[in-house]
Amino acid sequence: MTLLHRSSRRYLTRHPWLMGLSVLGVAIGVAVVVAIDLANTSASRAFELSAETVTGAATHQVVGAGGALDDDVYRRLRAAGLRPSAPIVEGYGSLRRGDRTFQVVGIDPLADAPFRPYLGTGAGSDLDLGTFMTDDTALLSARTAEALGLASGDTLRVDIEGTTHAVVLSGLISPQNERTRRAVANLLVVDVSTAQRLFDQAGTLSRIDLLAPAEGSAQRAYLDRVREVLPDGAQLRRSDTRTETVAQMTKAFDLNLTALSLLALIVGAFLIYNTMTFSVVQRRALIGRLRALGVTRGEVFRLVLGEAAVLGVVGSGLGLLLGVVLASGLVQLLAQTINDLYFVVEVSELSISAWTLAKGALLGVGTTLAAALPPAQEATAASVSTVLRRSTRETTLRRRAPGWAGVGLLVAGAGSLLLLVTEQSIWAGYGALFCVLVGTAFMIPWAVVGLSNGVRPLLGRVAGVIGRMAARGVVTNLSRTGVAIAALTIAIAATVGVGVMIDSFRGTVTNWLEQSLQADVYVQPPSLVFRRSTATIDSTVARRLRNVEGVKGAYSVRRVTVQADVGRTDLVAVEPGPETADVYQLKAGSPESAWPAVRAGPSVLVSEPYSYRYDVGVGDTLRLQTDRGQQAFAIKGVYYDYGSDLGVTLMSRSTYEQYYDDRGVSGLAFAAADTTSVDALIADMRTSVAGLQDVLIRSNRALRETSMRVFDRTFTITTVLRLLAIAVAFIGVLTALMALALERRREMGVLRATGMTPPQVGGYLTLQSSLMGAIAGILSLPLGYVLAYVLVFVINKRSFGWTLQLTVPSDVLVQSLVLAVVAAFLAGLYPTWRMARSSPALALQDE
Amino acid sequence: MNPSPMSRSRLLLAGLFGLVALLGLGAYWLTASSGEAELQTSVSVSEAMAGDTTGYRRATAPRAFTFPDDYGPHPGYKTEWWYVTGTLSGPDAQPYGYELTIFRTGLTPPDEAPQPPSDWRTNQLYLAHFAVTDGANEKFHAFERFQRGGAGLAGAQATPFRVWLDDWSMAGPDSSAFPLRLRAQQEGIGVDLSLRPTKPRVLQGDRGLSQKGPGSGNASYYYSYTRLATEGRLVVSGDTLSVTGNSWMDREWSTSALGPDQEGWDWFSLQLDDGRDLMYYQLRRTDGTPSRFSEGVIVGPNGSARPLDRSDVSVEVLDTWTSPDGTHTYPVDWTLRVPDEDIDLRVTPLFPDQELDVSVRYWEGFVRVKGSASGRGYVEMTGYGDSPGSPVS
Repeated sequence: MTLLHRSSRRYLTRHPWLMGLSVLGVAIGVAVVVAIDLANTSASRAFELSAETVTGAATHQVVGAGGALDDDVYRRLRAAGLRPSAPIVEGYGSLRRGDRTFQVVGIDPLADAPFRPYLGTGAGSDLDLGTFMTDDTALLSARTAEALGLASGDTLRVDIEGTTHAVVLSGLISPQNERTRRAVANLLVVDVSTAQRLFDQAGTLSRIDLLAPAEGSAQRAYLDRVREVLPDGAQLRRSDTRTETVAQMTKAFDLNLTALSLLALIVGAFLIYNTMTFSVVQRRALIGRLRALGVTRGEVFRLVLGEAAVLGVVGSGLGLLLGVVLASGLVQLLAQTINDLYFVVEVSELSISAWTLAKGALLGVGTTLAAALPPAQEATAASVSTVLRRSTRETTLRRRAPGWAGVGLLVAGAGSLLLLVTEQSIWAGYGALFCVLVGTAFMIPWAVVGLSNGVRPLLGRVAGVIGRMAARGVVTNLSRTGVAIAALTIAIAATVGVGVMIDSFRGTVTNWLEQSLQADVYVQPPSLVFRRSTATIDSTVARRLRNVEGVKGAYSVRRVTVQADVGRTDLVAVEPGPETADVYQLKAGSPESAWPAVRAGPSVLVSEPYSYRYDVGVGDTLRLQTDRGQQAFAIKGVYYDYGSDLGVTLMSRSTYEQYYDDRGVSGLAFAAADTTSVDALIADMRTSVAGLQDVLIRSNRALRETSMRVFDRTFTITTVLRLLAIAVAFIGVLTALMALALERRREMGVLRATGMTPPQVGGYLTLQSSLMGAIAGILSLPLGYVLAYVLVFVINKRSFGWTLQLTVPSDVLVQSLVLAVVAAFLAGLYPTWRMARSSPALALQDE
Repeated sequence: MNPSPMSRSRLLLAGLFGLVALLGLGAYWLTASSGEAELQTSVSVSEAMAGDTTGYRRATAPRAFTFPDDYGPHPGYKTEWWYVTGTLSGPDAQPYGYELTIFRTGLTPPDEAPQPPSDWRTNQLYLAHFAVTDGANEKFHAFERFQRGGAGLAGAQATPFRVWLDDWSMAGPDSSAFPLRLRAQQEGIGVDLSLRPTKPRVLQGDRGLSQKGPGSGNASYYYSYTRLATEGRLVVSGDTLSVTGNSWMDREWSTSALGPDQEGWDWFSLQLDDGRDLMYYQLRRTDGTPSRFSEGVIVGPNGSARPLDRSDVSVEVLDTWTSPDGTHTYPVDWTLRVPDEDIDLRVTPLFPDQELDVSVRYWEGFVRVKGSASGRGYVEMTGYGDSPGSPVS
């Protein structure tokens, strides 16, 4: 080991707290990035795996125009000799036992083998065809049955859309390979007839699986034969398109989480920058001597970077471990959010990919090294003599501060330009956000000088000499205070930005719900996906509810997924009433012309996200797959809707019934007669359908509350990320102030020696760190506002197509300010305590 | 009336399939390679025939047959089949043979039939075998299908007469079963044939009640058309050929079980050039001897039928053939004598490899007849190679 290495090691080990905190900062940053990545990957893996397993060997699928396909299509295919082909009826249900969600797959055991051979391969499996086909029986993965304590012959209670069904477990599935074994863990396999009963869809299938020849011309010939047989409504598609569509659904959502997770890492980078700067500054004398002894600039450069690399590697390693731990918590939150917003996914385990870990490690070490570059340059750039004098550096820095601010302004300007020249890119949006953050960081030293000088007279009046000294000290130690304040500012600004964004979003949704929920009572079947419920209300239930005394008006909503020329589309069919025009606020198109058109014929409205996602608007035509074949629908308006970021197409119930065979209803809304109280009506309704499907009958207010609860739940992860970014920022401030305090031991010694009492020194330091916190808090407000603006009007718009009203809640601002000051104050306590206790004589012995 | 060897064998076969399905047999696996569901089993015939008949109707006494109703299904009985084989000649007199059989099996007794929540819910299982013997190229093609008797996928009805499984079907015009149109196609092999009886229907056994084993109810209702003039098209190795020939149709339904000492059967249906049709089956017992329930019938050119029993017929095996995988050995060369009728025949297959390697392996193939009379026909053999007691293996 060379002298240089030994000196380096000595330095690192002499400051365990400082180095430890820096490592922790990197670790948390890496952990957050890795955790989000792992959670995202696990959720999509879980979905893909189950989708792949259920799709099996099918190369193509026949699907209906809406959610269902007339089972006559299957008959036609078979009668045309198109084999292998297999019918599927699928959906989701929850098992009472263990409260688990299962994908219920209805198969034909006589036709299914070529597609899903694993279902029948259990060694010693005694699949009893007679029982399987003639009774309500199901097969379950052997492992899951064991976990739930179930055995063949047991009766399962399966809840589907509010109705409980008894199904007898008639056999166990234990596929040969581990991957498939995992994939079938959440499958409940039943006969087609059983599935039709469970999902109340006699006469329809979810899809038909086909196995086309692999060879090109044979495949084309085969598919042509299939197409010839298919009626207008049915559609042939490749079986992998389904998985692709699903991946597309959550793309924007995943991307935003990833971007937010990077925020913590960026704050962590400031921390490293700070630590390395400090280490260089503190060792300027040593470096000067080394240089004088003939150590080259390159060696010094490598020394500093080497130290950073050590911190980066240790921090990243720790971060990976932390990340895995964090991910196992986040993945369930994420799964819940995906279930609320998009589709049912059951994530039973974390899939840890080496690639994710490698990315995390690379990102951690890379960021650390990048952050250490400026200090390393600093250490080598200066000439031998000036390196020895620290005041030179501070003076230079102060002199350069305005210049840096200019650079910062340029960077931020470049970011803004990036927003102007791009229209849709979410990454460009985040790129701009990053530019604004970095640009602001460059401006901070200059702002610190200005603000400190500005408050000096004020502090002087309040706290005398100490006050003036505190303010002055911030400026004279700009190389350290500047970075600490920047780190804190950026972290606080990020929380302000995200906080304001969530609040604006929430406010917008609240207003929208108030606007759109105008009926008194809402009825829905329980659904596993809150925002996109396609569950069906039992027809008896619907009829009885409509006839309850005290009901003045009833409106229905049907939600189905159909195929459009632009992609899979959530279609909503409503019964428009006189109030409808108030319920749906149009962004484009006029209510006077749009509604009559929608009532009259093949016209639709699209929601704002839909319009954005597929770039369609008033005057455009949407081609939807209907049971009568492909049909053109004129878009007559674009309405505000915050229910689904996938977007929705709306048509009138009469148009829907004209083009689709489905007569189901997904939701009912009732107006109470003037003489009836809503609570009494709800009670009557509950009585009238007691014992039938367990539908949710809720008042307007209760539904709104539930919606907001789900809304808040979907933002839980965002909030967690925000808190973690604050944690990293807090650590940043702590290390910055510690570094500062350690470095100023001599100064404190002088102060003590000249007669300041320990409380006075303590007050001086506390005041100073609080001042730094206040400066950070004040600076973070405008920056936070800018971030919120970008998040609301750029990122959200680009990701989901929503127009949100930006509302700046005063409490978020006050909280941030308080948070900044308190964080700085707390971070200043330890150094203050240490310094106040230190002996001035010792401190002065430094040299 | 004549006892019915044919019905016996078919009954056993159908019962076998029903049980295969019903019991699952622990060896139910589904193979992706062959392209369709297959129920593959390695059980022996006698093992599969141990069935529960509770809840089903039994054939205990002769009954009056009524038509067209009795062309259709009899769901009160556990098993039933529509069985047709035929020997055909191509444009250049090349020999071709075919078998199309559709079996119906009740998975549960009829009174337990569930209230269907969907068209797909049914206790009726259909099974079909389609085989073509390509005499020109000495190739044998066999296919098997399963389908539920619901949702219109497979089924049977009397008027208009139709029995079908996917795109395989036997269908008559509106009021009658005839001319019967048979259609089946798979993997480039197919038939589209029209069948018209040239002799009246024969009620087998005692006025159509055919005793299968000891005990009341171990019998079936059974009638046959022993000679149906056949014409139509045959698709084989990519060619569509015009064919003509004679077919044989059996209709049988029952709820019956094979006795514990019975392990298989050999069944002959021969159409002789002199206009006579001969059918004989012998049930083989585990000790290798024919059961006393072995029976046959001889139908004259005018349609008159004379029953045969075991004492009327002698069968001698002259040669055997072993399946390529070495597991099943079948007789493939016989002399069949009915001294009272001056019948002394040498029966040899067109070529030996006419084994259906399906869920229950059996041999069913085109045979030539020489000797006291010449002719053509079909032979069916089951229960070979499944147990050590097979008489010929």
